[in-house]
Order: sequence, then C-alpha cells, then structure tokens
Amino acid sequence: MTKPTILLVDDEERILRSLRMLFFADYNVLMTTDAHEATRILREERVHVIVSDQRMPIMQGSELLSIARETSPSTMRILLTGYSDMEASIASVNEGEVFRYLLKPWNAADVKEVVAQAAAIARATFATQQSPRVAVIETAKHKLRILVMDNDQATARAIEEILQHRAEVIWAQDEEHAKEILAHQNVSLVVADLNMGGKSVSYILKTVKQFNPQTQIIVLTSFDDTSHLIELINQAQIIRYLPKPIRNNILARNLEFVIERFHALGGSPEMQQRQSVEPVKDEQERLLSNKFMGMLNRLRSRPGVEQS
Amino acid sequence: MRRESYVEIDITSLIKPFECISPDLSLHRVAELFSNANYSNVLSLPIVENGIPVGVISRYSFIDVYLKNYSRELNGRRPIRFFMNPLPILVAHDQPLAEAAQHVTKHMKFPLTEDFIITENGRYAGIGFVVDLLKAMELQMRENAGELNQAYTRLKSSQLALAHSEKMASLGQMVAGIAHEINTPLGYVQNNVSVGKEMFTQVEVMLASYDALIDSLLDDQVGEEQISAQMQQVTELRSNSGTREMMGEMQGLLGDTLYGVAQISELVLNLKDFSRMDAVSTETVNLHDCIESALNIGRNVLKDRIEIIRDFGELPTITCSPSQLNQVFLNLFTNAAQATEGNGKLTIRTWYENGSVHISIADNGKGISPEHVSRIFDPFFTTKPVGEGTGLGLAISHQIIQKHGGDIRVESHPGTGTCFYIHLPAIATTAQVAEMLPLAPDFVQSEETL
Ligand SMILES: Nc1ncnc2c1ncn2[C@@H]1O[C@H](COP(=O)(O)OP(=O)(O)OP(=O)(O)O)[C@@H](O)[C@H]1O
Ligand SMILES: [Mg+2]
Repeated sequence: MTKPTILLVDDEERILRSLRMLFFADYNVLMTTDAHEATRILREERVHVIVSDQRMPIMQGSELLSIARETSPSTMRILLTGYSDMEASIASVNEGEVFRYLLKPWNAADVKEVVAQAAAIARATFATQQSPRVAVIETAKHKLRILVMDNDQATARAIEEILQHRAEVIWAQDEEHAKEILAHQNVSLVVADLNMGGKSVSYILKTVKQFNPQTQIIVLTSFDDTSHLIELINQAQIIRYLPKPIRNNILARNLEFVIERFHALGGSPEMQQRQSVEPVKDEQERLLSNKFMGMLNRLRSRPGVEQS
Repeated sequence: MRRESYVEIDITSLIKPFECISPDLSLHRVAELFSNANYSNVLSLPIVENGIPVGVISRYSFIDVYLKNYSRELNGRRPIRFFMNPLPILVAHDQPLAEAAQHVTKHMKFPLTEDFIITENGRYAGIGFVVDLLKAMELQMRENAGELNQAYTRLKSSQLALAHSEKMASLGQMVAGIAHEINTPLGYVQNNVSVGKEMFTQVEVMLASYDALIDSLLDDQVGEEQISAQMQQVTELRSNSGTREMMGEMQGLLGDTLYGVAQISELVLNLKDFSRMDAVSTETVNLHDCIESALNIGRNVLKDRIEIIRDFGELPTITCSPSQLNQVFLNLFTNAAQATEGNGKLTIRTWYENGSVHISIADNGKGISPEHVSRIFDPFFTTKPVGEGTGLGLAISHQIIQKHGGDIRVESHPGTGTCFYIHLPAIATTAQVAEMLPLAPDFVQSEETL
C-alpha cells in the first residue's frame, strides 16, 4: 500500500520543516508556504489530509479549506493555528467544515494521531468513490425528525414554518426534556442553543454525535467563547455555528444544506466516519456525557435500527 | 421664549385668554373689535355660545364681507353668526403638543387666516397662535435633539474611556497578533524538541547495539553466531532511513529552534517594554525608544511589506507616559499599514523646535477622502469592515496627546498618502503630568450622570 499524502500549509517555513519530521516516515509529505500553490496541489494530486495554518498573508486558512472542500471533497481538513479569533473559528466550521481544529503549540503525539485517523478515513472515502455503490438512501423514506433545544420556542416555530410537513419538529425547552427525547427517538438533526436555563448543554451534543455520527448538529447561539467553539468542532463535529438572532432565510438555507448532508451520510459508514469525534476532554463534562451515554445505550439499540 | 428646564411644553402654556364674542354680536361691533389695539395681534375672533366655541371669524374673511359694496350698510347690524366659519380649529388644553400640531397643520388654511381655539373640557379657554404652536414644536424638537445629542456624546465618551481603561482599543487585534506571533515559534520549537527527543532515544538504542557488538568482538568467549546476530541488528538499525534522515535534518531544526526561542524572548521583552500594563506611570524617556518599541510590537502588521524610513533628529528626553505614547504610535503604524496595499513606505521624522518635540509619520497608502478627514478623530468613526476596526484608535490617540499637552494633526492626499503630525511639549508642567493619568476622569463622571 502506498503512503497516504499529506499537504502542509503555513506561511512560516520553520513550521513546515518541523511538522515534516513527524510525518515523512509514514506519509508522502507535500508542503508549501503559498496558499495558491496549495490549491493547485489539491487540484492535481490526491491529497488525503491537508493541515493548514489560519493566519496567512494571501488567504486565511478557513478560506483555503473551503476551497479544498470544493476541489477535493474527500481530503480531510485540519486547521492548525496559533491564535484564533471568534470569526476565524466560526469560518472554520461554516466554510471550512474542518475535521479538527488544533492549536499551536501542539503535542507531537496528538497531532500524529489525529492525522493518522484522518488519513485512514480519507483512504476509505477515496476507495468508496472508486467503486461506486448504489447509495441506499433509506433515510429519505423516513420523515426527518428535528430536535430543537432552546428555552425559547421561537426557533422551533421558525423551523416548523420553514420545513412545513417535511419534518417533525420537536421542541425541548430544557436539558432534561432534550435528553428524554434523545433517549427515546432517533433524531436526524439537532438545532441547539448552547445554553439552557443558564447551563451549558454542550455535553448532550457531544454525546449525541458520539452515539450516532449521522446526526447533524447546528448550534444557534449568542454565546461566544472560542475555546468552547473549538471543543464543539473537535468533540461534536457541529456542522454549522450560527449567531442568534438569525434571519429566516439564512436559517432556511442552512437547514436545506444540512438536511442534504444528513441524507448523503445516510447509506455510507465511510462518510459517517468523516464526522467522527474526539472523546470529551473536560472532566465535568465527561461525567455528564458518560451518564447520558449510559442512558442512551440502555434505552436505545444502536443506531441503524430505526425505531420510533 | 427661553425655557429653564426640560419640561415638556404643553398647550396650556400657549393659551391667549382673549375674550370671546357672542354669535349675536353685530358686524359693526366686530369691526370695532378688530380695529381695537388689544386685538391687533389676533388673526381671528373666537365665537362662543354658552361657553362652547361655535365658530370663528377671521380678519381676512371679515374684511372680505365688510368691504363688499354696501355691505356695511346692509349687514352692519346683522349678527356675526351668519358670516362666521362654523368649523373652528379646536385643540384641547391637555392634548399632547405633537398631536395638536398635527391636527392644526392638517386643518389650517393658507394663507394663515385663523387662530385656533383651545378648550378645556369642551369649553372655551382661549385662543392659540399657530405660529406659537409651531415655534413650541420646533423648540421641543431641538431640545429633544439636544438632549439626545448630549446623551450620545456622553455615551460615546464614556465608552471611549471605558475602552481605553481596559486597553481594548486595537488591543483585541494586538492580542490576536501577539498570540499568533508567540505561538508560531513556540509551535516549531516544541515540536523540534520532541522530535529531537525521539531521535535521541533511537540514537541511544543504536549506540547500545554498537557497544554490544564491539564488546562481543573484543571478547574471545563470544561465538560467531552471536556476533553475526548482533551485526545483523546493527545493520538493520543503520538502514532505518528515518533515523538517518532525522539526523541529517536535526542540525537545521536545532538552528530553527534557537531562532524561535530568541524570537519569543524578544517579543516578550518588547511586550513588557511596551505596555507596562500594571503601572501606567510617567517617566522621562527619549521618544525614539517609544517609536522603536511600537515598531517592534507592530512588526506583525507591518510585516515585510512596509519599508520603515527613520529620519530622526536630536531629541531631548520628555516626561510622559511611555505606554500611552507607545499606543499612539502603534495606532498610527497600524493605520498606515492597513491603508497600504502591497508594498509601501513609512517615513518617521522627528525634530526639536521651539521647546516642543515633533514627530511626523507619513505613509504612501491610499489616503483619506476629504469628506472623512474631519471625522477620523471621532470615536467609532471607521471605514474598516466590522471586526477589523473599532474606530477608536485615533480617538484614543488624540486624547492621549491632548493629555500630554500636545497636539495631533493630519494631512492627507487621496491616492498619495497620509501624514500625521504630533508635537509634544518637551517640558510638561507638573499639573499636566499629574493630569495625564488617570485618563479622562470627566468621562467617568458623566457616566454616572447618565
Ligand atoms: N494612515 C491612514 N491612511 C488612510 N486612512 C486612515 C489612516 N489613518 C486613519 N485612517 C482612516 O481613519 C479611520 C479611523 O481610524 P482609527 O484608527 O480611529 O480607527 P480604525 O483604524 O478604523 O479602527 P481601530 O484603530 O480601532 O482598529 C480609519 O478607519 C481610516 O479610514
Ligand atoms: Mg486604527
């Protein structure tokens, strides 16, 4: 088996030289300080993993990764950044749809592990593309079920209005109610405010994504703290991070996109892998998450077996 | 009309308590009234029956009637009832001013011929002049606007003081920049060290197997088999291309590492110099040091794009708050960099003249359009997209320079560049130095009165 290809992009050459040491033994390493050059490589070569810096002179990393998403959708995207303001983090979710958001300075072993995981996933994606199978979109037959976690009912109403009969919208107005629903029903899409009744409910999202990677999570919040957002990327693979209040047409556009994504992942475990998550790191959250996961395991059989 | 306080103007204050007339009054009597000096100001006479206003007769329409041929003779004794306008404009004394004004302007006729009638519970209370009403409206609007303006100014300046006291202005950006500047070298330094550590382990293993082989070769007791096994092991280790390549690279990596560490320490030093966030004290310094410090800190915005040209004169030391002046310079450098696309030049000139220290900072960026020039020192004025500029940079700079007893001015030519001039007194008076800090106590006060 040939080595997978990794593309490193950073405007600081020393970073490239340094990172290369971690990978040259097991990967075919390509690197450049020039984002345009990177886009050319993405067009011309099969790249399994791209690792990009965020702050670069010609182009922001999130922008480069969103180009990568277009030109080489199977390539796994990782951002490695020294500092990130809120805007950059949000762009990396909404535009870059990054697999991992890593911070400099990094831990060599961790980065190696993340890249190895990403490379394996990319391999699987490339392989399925070569031998296209008949996509079985079973999920399309079922009506979508959307859980809206928000103290305020307005969001649920807005979504109901947008999707009309196409989806069953369930409104959970508090943490317990949300867990109750998730424990008993398969949910295709979760739209959540991070804060319910003054408490963070991130752990619910992280657990849900762990339990079933096909579930798509949209965060809709006025909450703004980069460190939490980075965790939500790595540990919940949220697919959209949208600020509240949100205009209906923007919400509608994003919902359509995410529903499509949900269906695309439907028949393919390889595709679902692409949104696999890191374990929960925060001590407190891990306890909560484990407890909730226990509840899910007890009350629900594993995903795949559709229940209502 | 002068008003002492911001009490809302009401209709009652507009009442002119002219005596009303009865509808049975004859035209002759009305003519007399109109020519009476007491009524010289009124446009019309209110006509009231049993306390209720029933009509109005204006000077204008009265004259119309009265001057017709023989009208005086024919109608002189007839009551005014037949000639009046039975639909006077009525306004209640407790009606809000704006509403009344709307009602009056809607029903009045041009040219203005009638006054309006003010009632109290439906009964006649007096007449009001339309002009007064409009004046009152204007006054109130102006007062409201004035109040609004004042509140706005106070709000803006208290926000400004707040932003400054928390060193928020462009500091958010700075923090991002600095974090990035530190974490980038820290990233490769840390990684290189851990790569080195791993390599060291491998080298250790290699050395150990060499040692073992040599020991065996020197030892007569060791048999051929063991030696060839050990040779095998050494050969394997030697052929591990990874380790070889790593060793080859290590020289370079160690160089990078040293470079990175030096860069981090320099940055930290600069930062310390730059802000002295804890003690914002006044010191006696040479401004060139402030400029250099700000240039260093701003390195990541100036990058390699902007060529810095220093044309420094001889300057005496001055007593100032270096951290505040650093901030001024940094703001100016940042602005210059942001106004320059691609490569540019930044010329910094300093000179001493008439007891003042002068600094000019000229860029060859895109310049400031004439309609913006007067506003750039305003708090929150920015032409930059959201997230890029708060519009506080120059406002704060201006405030800092003023507190130092100096002045900052701008000259800009769109398309050619912008030059900021600063001058600071070389010897600040004790009072000025004392006043320099804390910044803007008056803002804090006005915040309380808000
Ligand atoms: N050197 C310059 N060249 C061209 N325009 C300038 C220059 N300096 C300032 N300006 C103009 O003046 C405006 C106000 O500058 P100011 O420093 O107060 O705020 P800002 O740079 O927009 O935001 P901030 O400094 O808070 O990041 C700028 O938005 C820009 O339009
Ligand atoms: Mg500025």
